[in-house]
Amino acid sequence: MGYEPLVQQNPLRVLNMGRENNQMGLVMARAGLGKTALLVQIALDAILRGKRVIHVSIGETIDKTKSWYDDILQLILQEHSINKPHELIDMVAHHRMIMTFKVAAFTRSRLEERLNDLILQDIFRPNCLIVDGFDFESTDREALEDIKNLMESMNMQAWFSATHHRDDSRISPTGVPAPCHEIDDLFDMIILLKPERDATIQLDIIRNYGAQVEGGKGLLLDPTTMMVKEI
Amino acid sequence: MKKDLKKVRNIGISAHIDSGKTTLTERVLYYTQRIHAIHEVRGKDGVGATMDSMELEKERGITIQSAATYCSWKDSDINIIDTPGHVDFTIEVERALRVLDGAVLILCSVGGVQSQSITVNRQMTRYKVPRIAFINKCDRTGANPYRVTQQLRDKLDLNAIMIQLPIGLESDLEGMIDLVAMKAVYFDGDQGDTIRIEEIPAPLREEAEGKREELLDAVSMFSDELMETMLEETEIPEAMIHEAIRRGTLSLELTPVMIGSAYKNKGVQLLLDAVIAYLPCPTDVENTALDLDQGESEVVVSNNPEDPLVALAFKLEDGRYGQLTYIRTYQGMVQKGDTIINSRTGKKSKVGRLVRMHANEMEEIDGAGSGDIVALFGIDCASGDTFCNGVNWSMSSMHVPAPVISLAIKPIDNKAQINMSKALNRFTKEDPTFKTFVDHETSETIISGMGELHLEVYIERMKREYKAEVEVGAPQVAYRETITQRAAFDYTHKKQTGGSGQYGRVGGFLEPLEEGEYEFVDGIVGGVIPREFISSCDKGFQKSMVKGTLTGAQITGVRVTINDGSYHAVDSSDIAFQLASIGAFKQGYSKAMPVIMEPIMKVAVEGPSEFQGAVMGSLNQRRGVIVGTFEEGNYTVVEAEMPLAEMFGYSTTLRSLTQGKAEFTMEFATYKQVPKGVAEELHKAFEAQKKDA
Repeated sequence: MGYEPLVQQNPLRVLNMGRENNQMGLVMARAGLGKTALLVQIALDAILRGKRVIHVSIGETIDKTKSWYDDILQLILQEHSINKPHELIDMVAHHRMIMTFKVAAFTRSRLEERLNDLILQDIFRPNCLIVDGFDFESTDREALEDIKNLMESMNMQAWFSATHHRDDSRISPTGVPAPCHEIDDLFDMIILLKPERDATIQLDIIRNYGAQVEGGKGLLLDPTTMMVKEI
Repeated sequence: MKKDLKKVRNIGISAHIDSGKTTLTERVLYYTQRIHAIHEVRGKDGVGATMDSMELEKERGITIQSAATYCSWKDSDINIIDTPGHVDFTIEVERALRVLDGAVLILCSVGGVQSQSITVNRQMTRYKVPRIAFINKCDRTGANPYRVTQQLRDKLDLNAIMIQLPIGLESDLEGMIDLVAMKAVYFDGDQGDTIRIEEIPAPLREEAEGKREELLDAVSMFSDELMETMLEETEIPEAMIHEAIRRGTLSLELTPVMIGSAYKNKGVQLLLDAVIAYLPCPTDVENTALDLDQGESEVVVSNNPEDPLVALAFKLEDGRYGQLTYIRTYQGMVQKGDTIINSRTGKKSKVGRLVRMHANEMEEIDGAGSGDIVALFGIDCASGDTFCNGVNWSMSSMHVPAPVISLAIKPIDNKAQINMSKALNRFTKEDPTFKTFVDHETSETIISGMGELHLEVYIERMKREYKAEVEVGAPQVAYRETITQRAAFDYTHKKQTGGSGQYGRVGGFLEPLEEGEYEFVDGIVGGVIPREFISSCDKGFQKSMVKGTLTGAQITGVRVTINDGSYHAVDSSDIAFQLASIGAFKQGYSKAMPVIMEPIMKVAVEGPSEFQGAVMGSLNQRRGVIVGTFEEGNYTVVEAEMPLAEMFGYSTTLRSLTQGKAEFTMEFATYKQVPKGVAEELHKAFEAQKKDA
């Protein structure tokens, strides 16, 4: 596509994550650390590699979600001199679709119906699904397995975000905090974001391509862009 | 004559079509005793509501033009601007917002926040208009003011807080609980004239107390006094709460939510109280003007009636007695017999008759002070002009979008021809987004505007108000052309046919201009083109921009730099350099990879979720890019960016796809390059047309 150099500061490229289809990823952090920004980076990473992304935003507006993309794209454009910025912006618009749901309206059957609407009419064939704001607290294992199966049958990658609370100390033996401590085996990639004292964010990988990563791999991110500070 | 500006309210009422704002205005006029009987919008008595003064509006049951009207409520004066509900007329809404200090945003308790409310809300935010929300139609089946309040928070991003609770809903709507006074309010009598205040019914007591807590929490942010009183846990005076709500509203950080049913005469008087209590008076709002004598630097208008006059003409109407000009004064006074100066044209006019408008009736007055909205007779001006006396200011120019669609019209006979030109003259003065011109190649009259409906309404008005029957051509999209890369030119214009010849050589380059339409850079050094001919070059390039070579559309987004040239002491002239520049532009343009641009509209389709797939399919077929979807319960909004050219007849398609259950709104977003295939077709059509002509 010619845009690959643009994603070199994207954490996923640095970590070499999320290349393959059929995988489920999870980004965990406390509120306000930049889960959405990281998910948007993950989406842009896929889009700039020519994939199509559906961004599901639960409890957010279309405009707000879109402005996340616009902002981060602007930053990328500022850092790299690009010949025809409009073409890049258009290309992102064509490869992304935003779906926003009220909290209660998001279910597997609804999702499947929407995806089928798009695919059967040949409107949009997504390769990657981003789910921001998924309610893990009140979801059981079965519902999530259901979505995992759906993703497998559609040959799609999926990334979720989950918020963990400071006062909830439950944690899985592999180091995944609540509310995902009992379902962490469903994910092939797990990233944990932690605040650092110098106002940067540390990104730890707990699992990559299904394999446990011991001691994480510290990577410092710029908190406004979620891009890697130093390579 | 001098009056207390603290007791003046200039408010607008705006909302989604059919959420009942005309009915509400009618009730307001009734309770403030401006009218003595209530007529329904689609009433059986055939009179129609007082505010819908245009015949066409009466027939369609919608309000197209905003009529300004005046009333007084409990020793305060209120000027109301009724604003149109359809997005095609947003210039009317925006113009009204400009002169308003505050607004009431009406929502339907069943339909909730619909796409038009989103547009209107965005406009209100742009003009920093403090607002109160009124959830109307609480008597309808399916009414749910709680859900609508939540939507105000979610969709409009407003800090909406209910200051009332309904007593009963749907057909059981009896009245409401005032959460500030903690009393139940009922409306007795056929027209709800008599207000009865009672204790809150026991079953609702607990809910009311909970909601009051929420209200106090939200508004205590705006008043330290209130916060302290709450901490001391003593009795909170009502006035303190009102003051906190007012501060929150004025800072645009709080939107008080009221409920009622205008049709059933419930809650309107309380809304009027709230308008007085929470919306700003003219001195609460800072308005700025541009000082034309100081290079358009910004100045704040004083609101002082003693200062020189500054007034904005925001609306024109063609009445029985000639042109009626609605003005809002920002400072100074306007009085009968005064001489006022139009700061755009410099023309002086004498104020003859001065009236206050009550929808279609008028009351003659002698003068109006700062902050007032009144109408003048017999003043020749265009909408948006500023009138001054003593200063040379202009109220900052309003944001006027360029037209995106045009139609050819042809009068059917000679009489229609005369009437048509009268009508067009009037419409273009009234509405800056409506433009008209004669295409010299086809000698057709072209009208252009912001959407299909926008133009349709004017054609209807021509027929009805001016008896001008016209034949209407197919709508045309306003394409544009632009260049995509830098290209050099070097062109010599030489002519030697007896007498004095013509000679001029122009060299330089064209390059794409990201923002703006045209820029001319003079890079000539050493006088290779003499000073006096530089403007001739500029003129020549500008002439070339009028018509592109691909489709004959206007060319935009070009920066022209000239850096070389030569001249002849005798043969060089203004015209020679103009022609040389036209030749140079042509030469450069063909090398600069010109492309066709088309208007892209932001379209929102909303309706039941079951049709989402069909709707997306229909948008996709029309070269649209679907930006996203929003789902709540069984209701979906699809947002897309669509080429205007593909949107003709979409309302019919949508209706048949969704059994008439979905609707859409559209507003201009941007210009984008036309895809190759389409561009080729457009170019072919243009070539064929040229051959025919």
